Amino acid sequence: MNEKREQSVLVQRSWMVAAQKIGAPLISAALAVVVGSFIIWASGYDPRAAFIALWEGSFGSPKAIGDTLLKATPLILTGLAVAYGFRAGLFNIGAEGQLFLGGLAATWLGLSLAGLPWFLLIPLMLLASMLAGAAWAFVPAILKARIGAHEVITTMMFTYIGRYLVSYLVIGPLKAPGQIPQTAELPGAGQLSRIQALFSEATLASFEFLKLGRGHLGIVVAVIAAVLVWFVLKHTTLGYENRAVGFNPWASQTAGISVQSTTVKALCISGGLAGLAGSTEVMGVHHRLFDQFSSGFGFTGIAVALLAKNHPIGVIPAALLFGALAAGAGRMQFQADVPQKIVLIIQALVIFFVAAEEIVLWLIRRRQKEAVSHAG
Amino acid sequence: MLGDIITPDLFASALRMATPLALAAIGGTICERAGVVNIALEGIMLTGAFFGTAMVLLTGSPWLGVIAAVASGAGISAVHAFASINLRSNQVISGTAINLLALGLTGFLMELWYGHPGTTDPIKVLRPIFNFESPGGGAIAEAWRWFDSIVFSHTPIVYLTILIAIVAQVAIHRTKWGLRLRALGEHPRAVDTVGVSVYRGRWVAVLMSGALAGLAGANLTIEQVGSFTENMTNGRGFIALAANIFGRWTPVGSYLASLLFGFADALQIKLQILRGVVSIPPQLFLMLPYLLTVIVLAGVIGRAVAPAAVGEPYEKG
Amino acid sequence: MPVLELREVTKAFPGVLANDRVSLVLEKGEIVALLGENGAGKSTVMNVVYGLLSPDGGEVLMDGRPARIKSPRQAIDLGIGMVHQHFMLVEPLTVTENIVLGREPGRFGAIDFATARRRVEELSLRYGLKVDPDARIIDLPVGMQQRVEILKALYQGARVLILDEPTAVLTPQEVRELFSVIRSLVDEGLSVVFITHKLEEVMAVADRIIVMRAGRVVGETSPEKTDDVGLARLMVGRDVVLRIEKTTKPTCGDTVLHVEDLRVRSDRGLEAVAGVTFSVCGGEIVAVAGVSGNGQTELVESIVGLRRPLAGTILLKGVDITRADARTSIEAGLSHIPEDRHRRGLILQFDLAENLVLGDHRVPPYAKGPLMRPGQVGAMAATRIADYDIRTPSAGVLAGNLSGGNQQKLVVAREIGRDPELLVAAQPTRGLDVGAIEFVHRQILAARESGKAVLLVSLELEEVLSLADRVLVMYEGRIVKELASGEADAETLGYYMTGGGGEKLSAQELQAPTHGGNA
Repeated sequence: MNEKREQSVLVQRSWMVAAQKIGAPLISAALAVVVGSFIIWASGYDPRAAFIALWEGSFGSPKAIGDTLLKATPLILTGLAVAYGFRAGLFNIGAEGQLFLGGLAATWLGLSLAGLPWFLLIPLMLLASMLAGAAWAFVPAILKARIGAHEVITTMMFTYIGRYLVSYLVIGPLKAPGQIPQTAELPGAGQLSRIQALFSEATLASFEFLKLGRGHLGIVVAVIAAVLVWFVLKHTTLGYENRAVGFNPWASQTAGISVQSTTVKALCISGGLAGLAGSTEVMGVHHRLFDQFSSGFGFTGIAVALLAKNHPIGVIPAALLFGALAAGAGRMQFQADVPQKIVLIIQALVIFFVAAEEIVLWLIRRRQKEAVSHAG
Repeated sequence: MLGDIITPDLFASALRMATPLALAAIGGTICERAGVVNIALEGIMLTGAFFGTAMVLLTGSPWLGVIAAVASGAGISAVHAFASINLRSNQVISGTAINLLALGLTGFLMELWYGHPGTTDPIKVLRPIFNFESPGGGAIAEAWRWFDSIVFSHTPIVYLTILIAIVAQVAIHRTKWGLRLRALGEHPRAVDTVGVSVYRGRWVAVLMSGALAGLAGANLTIEQVGSFTENMTNGRGFIALAANIFGRWTPVGSYLASLLFGFADALQIKLQILRGVVSIPPQLFLMLPYLLTVIVLAGVIGRAVAPAAVGEPYEKG
Repeated sequence: MPVLELREVTKAFPGVLANDRVSLVLEKGEIVALLGENGAGKSTVMNVVYGLLSPDGGEVLMDGRPARIKSPRQAIDLGIGMVHQHFMLVEPLTVTENIVLGREPGRFGAIDFATARRRVEELSLRYGLKVDPDARIIDLPVGMQQRVEILKALYQGARVLILDEPTAVLTPQEVRELFSVIRSLVDEGLSVVFITHKLEEVMAVADRIIVMRAGRVVGETSPEKTDDVGLARLMVGRDVVLRIEKTTKPTCGDTVLHVEDLRVRSDRGLEAVAGVTFSVCGGEIVAVAGVSGNGQTELVESIVGLRRPLAGTILLKGVDITRADARTSIEAGLSHIPEDRHRRGLILQFDLAENLVLGDHRVPPYAKGPLMRPGQVGAMAATRIADYDIRTPSAGVLAGNLSGGNQQKLVVAREIGRDPELLVAAQPTRGLDVGAIEFVHRQILAARESGKAVLLVSLELEEVLSLADRVLVMYEGRIVKELASGEADAETLGYYMTGGGGEKLSAQELQAPTHGGNA
């Protein structure tokens, strides 16, 4: 191949890649929605009614948007968790367990330090949840780094262990008086405020779109986290080494990067991000801990990360999509009678199409290369 | 107190609890020996459990239910086969998609067909095959009670599983299929260059593992529980993967490893029943099988070697 | 009538015409050598014959009849067997299992292992290919594994045997044995296609020589009608400079690397390096020559900090780096061109700049504390790309999109550009075309002239002879001979590489530290 032709291929490919990066996930998501609609239709429901309900429940009003933000908040964080792991070649399938531990740590600290002012308590609780999530990922991380025990199995096992642990604590030692197995309510200084509570009645009256209902400040925490993760991956040696190990551990090792220590760091940071999802959920939504406080955010985070192609900023729109699905699902069941579980199916389809889309891209690239080589 | 725990039915229960794990683990063994990672065992088992139950509810026949479970397990594993073999997707991600798909699909159909989430109506189950009379008292009778309980108290799939483990073990080492299977997971191109289709070999292995995991689901619902509950597999597919590793990618090894996990599960249940006697909260017992899995993996991995080409998509030519 | 005939076979890959109307014939009982450089299209055309690739044009005839070979199975059924460059053997399986794979004797799906074993023994007796049918492949030496490959083809009923670069991994002794095996096969009526890029082998074994260059057949001749030089010209398309002239005599400075009684274990727990002692001084190229698998890989890995030695000492400028990891070694002034650039040399998904800073990414000026400094990295990358003539539109292109030669330039640019004390170059030109080989050789010589110590590990005798000031011959984990560049020639090296003269070496000679070069 002559050099000129080689270069033109390279140039063409770089804009192609850029287009593919944005376009391919959109196509995957669209395909998943199409197949999902087909399932709805084949089950005897009206897909149109279902999607209208879904839209109304997720973006149809400021309150609905608030609900979408509410659901997107933990999904951004678990999506970041999974994505950061993937960037090091690790599959943290156990974000759910780390999220539970994060919620637990934040709750426990919030209840223990109830007298502190909010500007101390909230950062401490967020920090505690990150540390707890990281700690929950630490044993699988060490086992992976030291003896190669597959993190998919170990983090999954720790998810079950974590859930039973929380379940035990809210029934036992941390249980508030009363019939329901749950902890006492967090002090006000340990709660993340609703967004609309920041504005006066007058402001809200003139700016309707600010009436975001249950949407809380956790979304700000999540977006800041996304930007930070992006910065770490792009501009720090830590992130550089993380990506290097993820792409090629042998070359990384040859260049003096410790694969073991990068693995441990990556899984713990991943766990920390998932833990943060637990605290924002407790502090912003439930204001207390009980054993069903997460509706599988850790697992949905996998779909979020994959749809975002593991890009930290891409995680935000991906999480908004899944957040919208989660927020609108209730209305869809109520209004169009479609079982909420369809959302899980759509999630699975998104993962499937993202994984399978490589073949589509491969075909596109091959066709393009052939075109170039024939032209020359 | 120990006498309350160590009873014949503890061991019988261990054998029962080991059965779904072993079936899925043997499925995992066959699949990974062919070079395809199958973390979808969890979802396939759940699919089998659901469609098995649905068939029994529809026809009243447990055996038709077993067939439906096996067929649906193979069916959903075909999605995994297509993605990871033909489309060369990342096998772990494809497996994750199937786990989620199974969770969503069974939950969705549950509401669609039965109008509510949660648990189905109870179904007609498969009964234990043997039913011997207990002879009178004395030491011999006591010994017989142990023997009868551990050996003769079981339902058909429990026995079938032992048979499958042995047959699969022999087949992997003594048959053409087995030789090709072992070669597929180590060096698929070598298999291709002697004119044996890699894709077909891997497809067959993935479908077999799906059928076995589906059978595991049938055992859960049609033999053990007697109804279907959403997400009832509760991580068993992942524990089965660990059992496969602990069993060093052999069917009999997988079975024996599953016995260990089954025993942990049986013990856990036993201790829950005896809660009054042992004052430890039940959640801590529920953790036991999962903790044991981590401990076993921590202890064994360094010495167990996976098939060389496992997880790598095969590209022709 | 020829056994095998190719008419105008054409095969294109994206961007490359790998085979351009290739025609050739193979008569019964004939040995045809297919000669050409890496990338000339030899293996491609034979993969088409074996059904691994489908041609874009032309036809293949077997026994005069057109054969549409779409899969290896069809090729095998037609009587075509192929021994690939990378063996198609399943390592944990036994010799017998590997040979019968795909055509197992037995009924009802069960394998009749007794019959299988007997057939393997019969074949190995008939063709003089001695091998233990019950041994596991992983336990066999490479030469023995190749026999298993040939037996496998014979078991499948091959009448035409294609050998793809069969000598690349063999010792000269094993090569001689292979040649006699090939002759006995031909005596039994088989026909052989022998793919190679080594001139002397062609002259030794072929009845007829077909030369390929850039996807085309450019000439046909026979050993009687030509010589090395003529063949080389045909193969490369111009007169080859077989040796780059060194401009200056080595000016040996201080000892940079000193290795003392080093012992290293292989992955399989065997002692791969069994007590090695040598030194390299500044401004000198010391080459380690040897047949693949005699401990060179383990030696390199232990020096660069990728493998912990069992015993011994490694000193870099007097600093003990025996148990140092790769990072410490790099910081102590070591550079390493790894033998497998895709696996160890580059991160193909990283762009050029990211690859060029790999290993230096945590030190100033490329990093400041925990932060990377993209400006500094970009400036450095631009300089390196220009200095080392890396052909790319920009530093932002992914390394995986470069050609093989440019990828190796990238590795060389990084490792030499770092300005190390010691450069360890392991098979730095493997798989490269002539132009790229020349480039890499010039860079290594330039490093020597600027006073750096160079440890070159190579399987290519030509490379060793043209670059080295001193040659250490490695055999079974030991340095069995040290030669100054003046004393070394291919035959002498070949002799020692295969264990020749081993007994004659005194223990003293083996252990004496060797200082300085005096070529």
